[in-house]
Amino acid sequence: MSEGTSERVLGDVLLDVVDLQVRYGAITAIKGISFHVNRGEIVALLGANGAGKTTTQKTVSGMLQPAAGSITFDGQRIDGIPPHELINVGICHVPEGRHVFPRMTVQENLVMGAFRFRAPDQELLAHVLDLFPRLKERYGQQGGTLSGGEQQMLAIGRALMGKPRLLLLDEPSMGLAPLIVEQIFEIVRSINVDGVSILLVEQNARQALTVADRGYVLETGELVLAGTGRELLADDRIRAAYLGEELAS
Amino acid sequence: MNRRVSLPPAVTRLMACLGGSVVLAMMVGRQQGSQQDYGLAFRESVLDVRIIGFLLLGVLAFLVITYREVVTPYVRRPGVRPLVVAVLVLVAAFFLMKWYDPLGDGKFGTLADAVAQTSGILPLAHVFFGWLWWVALIGLPVGTFVAIAIRNRRLAWIMAGLSVVLAVLTLVVHARSVAFAGGVDHSFGATTAFIGFLILAGAGVVAARSQEETAKTRAFVEQVMAYRPGLPLIVLGILLGLLALVLATWLAPRGDNLTLVDTSSLFSGSGLDGLATAVLGWLAYVLFAVVAVLGAAAVWLRSRALGWATAAAAALSILAVLYTLYAITDLAADQGYGTGTGPWQNLGTGGWVLCIALFTVGAGGAVAALQFQGRRGPEGSSDGVAGRLHDAGRSTTIRSLALFGIGLALFYPPTASGFWQQSLSTTIGVYVLLAIGLNVVIGWAGLLDLGFIAFYAIGSYTTAYLTNSLPVKPPSWLALSPLWAIPIAIAVCLLAGVLLGAPTLRLRGDYLAIVTLGFGEIIRIIAVNNPGNFTNGPRGVSDPVPHPVIDLGFVRFEWGGTSLQYWYLLLVLLAIVIVLFYRLEGSRLGRAWAAIREDEVAAQASGVNTTRVKLMAFAIGASTSGLAGVFFGSQVGFFNPQNFVLNNSILIVAYVVFGGMGSLIGAIAGAAALTWLPDFLRDQVPAEDRTMWIGAVLLIMMIFRPQGLIPARRREAELTGLAGHDIAARPSVQAIPASEGV
Repeated sequence: MSEGTSERVLGDVLLDVVDLQVRYGAITAIKGISFHVNRGEIVALLGANGAGKTTTQKTVSGMLQPAAGSITFDGQRIDGIPPHELINVGICHVPEGRHVFPRMTVQENLVMGAFRFRAPDQELLAHVLDLFPRLKERYGQQGGTLSGGEQQMLAIGRALMGKPRLLLLDEPSMGLAPLIVEQIFEIVRSINVDGVSILLVEQNARQALTVADRGYVLETGELVLAGTGRELLADDRIRAAYLGEELAS
Repeated sequence: MNRRVSLPPAVTRLMACLGGSVVLAMMVGRQQGSQQDYGLAFRESVLDVRIIGFLLLGVLAFLVITYREVVTPYVRRPGVRPLVVAVLVLVAAFFLMKWYDPLGDGKFGTLADAVAQTSGILPLAHVFFGWLWWVALIGLPVGTFVAIAIRNRRLAWIMAGLSVVLAVLTLVVHARSVAFAGGVDHSFGATTAFIGFLILAGAGVVAARSQEETAKTRAFVEQVMAYRPGLPLIVLGILLGLLALVLATWLAPRGDNLTLVDTSSLFSGSGLDGLATAVLGWLAYVLFAVVAVLGAAAVWLRSRALGWATAAAAALSILAVLYTLYAITDLAADQGYGTGTGPWQNLGTGGWVLCIALFTVGAGGAVAALQFQGRRGPEGSSDGVAGRLHDAGRSTTIRSLALFGIGLALFYPPTASGFWQQSLSTTIGVYVLLAIGLNVVIGWAGLLDLGFIAFYAIGSYTTAYLTNSLPVKPPSWLALSPLWAIPIAIAVCLLAGVLLGAPTLRLRGDYLAIVTLGFGEIIRIIAVNNPGNFTNGPRGVSDPVPHPVIDLGFVRFEWGGTSLQYWYLLLVLLAIVIVLFYRLEGSRLGRAWAAIREDEVAAQASGVNTTRVKLMAFAIGASTSGLAGVFFGSQVGFFNPQNFVLNNSILIVAYVVFGGMGSLIGAIAGAAALTWLPDFLRDQVPAEDRTMWIGAVLLIMMIFRPQGLIPARRREAELTGLAGHDIAARPSVQAIPASEGV
């Protein structure tokens, strides 16, 4: 599976976050972090509960305003742009907790993802359905009746319908069975092979790092570690903190 | 030690059922005692022979609940649901509704007593009013139920046939009795009984024809409708037409009921012009026959051209009939025959019913034409034959019902009594408009607005200001006739919608409800407090709001003579609003509303500008209240802050929920039904009980059909151009209860 990743063309910096600070009132949740996502990369943002992963993600997707610092996407400042406009820039966001439209069918959910276009791209729709055969089976079924894994697939598929250049995935493995998690990450990888850069926020460090080119580790609003996926997977501190392994020494 | 006595559940249940039947007995009986005798009401309603009937009902309910497992398979059988509906309709017809206006309270019992004491009336009437109706009311439903229970096709057919006979018999006997007794009669008891028997016949047919094990009445009906699209309408139209031509009263100038033949002989040699004389004499029959034959041929041969020809012929015939009605009443008024002072007065139901009949047949032709048009299009998505038939049935059913409704809306009101015309064009019309608006906010965008009446107040006061009816006069260039005030009132309401929407955008659910509730009260209290002597305080407008006028120089038409004129104005306004809102629902904005209603975060992630979309919902929802304000203000001429109390806001919410949240037709139906009900009950139950009955209707509705009268079906237009991927099962799984909150 690493053959697929090695063939990809990794380009210049697509998303550049510099000295980002985010506050909830008096509390500083993100205390000046910098990271970047290169064109064609999968970057994982790891951390325990409360580390600030989702806050970072939400700030990038425009739902929160940064207190200081800058976010640049493809050479354009995007901090402060509201989320519904960000999608026109090319950033699609899969929110935490699989927000699908419960009483719309799978089809309608997917079409809704292409809301920014006059009409949904039929070829893309067919492609997304090929990517998620389960959604094809459930095509006429209402979103709320799907299982958790299917809903997550639907949420990702819906985001793809907006033709993103950068896909923000917030905890795609949350509350899913290990087998489903593996499927989801398999799909994440194949989306990336299609040329979509991905910023992945995860608690499931092992899974995230096996697909990620690079990873950052957040702790209480600060970056404490950075490196390639393989480096981080091998890092003792990561193994201790997230993979639950006893330190050998 | 006080041990709780625990009764066996069956005993508790029986006691509950009996208690319920006593409550029901008290609900149906007299409500108040008197100063001398406080227990009067209780004794009359409970300590009377009739309590036995109610207790039997309670025991029946107990049996049904206890032996539910045994009963359920029977209830699921095809035909049982229409049977239940038929029984309810029949009971309402015989025990609740009026049968003959001029006689006492007009109820069936009174009429039956009177008939029993009258000699010389049709012998059949004695039989019918004497015992036949009892036999029919009890025997036919029981017979049909037995046929369903033992699955006897032949018995079901027999029962269906007998029901049709009884239906016709009811109408004939009633018409002859009324003709015998004389006087103008606007009552609906007989018509309702007719409909009830027809539904019963339908239940029999469904039971006899259906092969299925379980309830498929709806599917069966849709199959029938799709079998020959338009056929049911044609049949109904022909029946109505025969009634109109043979039995119904065409002219009632002096309290006498002249049928078409009588009217024709009355006007022979009276200088009536050629067309009208011809229509009265023979043309009406010929026209109707032509339309009916054309329609039947169109439906049978599945011919598009014939279908449109039917519709065209029907339209021409309606014009001819309307002209005739105008000519005869004009002439009668000119010659001082009867009490009429101008055209359109003293008409019976005949002409209008003939119009409804012609319209219905024409509509049948149009439905047929449209259906065969659709077949030729590139519609053929490969759902399998059954699916396509099902879809075709659904669309023709909806189309047929809608067209029949339009026919009724156009030609029925003239035959209604003045009270109903007034009620239709004021309360019902206005609240239908308001419900359409609130449906946008609650049903489509999912924002609970409890202060909706405030926009109505703003629309009304804007109208009053623009038409010089408030103490503060507008500058002379701004003083307008009500019709010209419509765009400004709508604009002001749009603006008010934005102003209310802006501060509430971050609120959801309960919080939003409270804030909007406050907004509604603020507007009302401002109107009461009369700032700057603008609103004239609790007294309401200072001068009556004028009636609308159309003045084009060569034609001038002023509203205000009768409620009917307002009714037709309202129909035009409603038609425009419905078309616009229907388009809106399927539009991009409509989809954005659906998205934020379903999940705001996901909507935002999909690129929906939630702020703007919510503001649009408030503004567009408010716009219909501007229209309603103009309409109501100019019709009634007078209003005060009492019209805009919180209670009315809540009522509108109830209308929308009752009708089916998010469904345009549902909102209209809900508002119409719930504004009609109090006025209807006014004649049927004691005044003090009215609200109680309405409450009971709401309760029953919300328990047994929480999704509302006509629930929203996600429109297929939303799935634009996805025919190629039309793979999996269409019928979506309804795992999420439609009753889920706003």
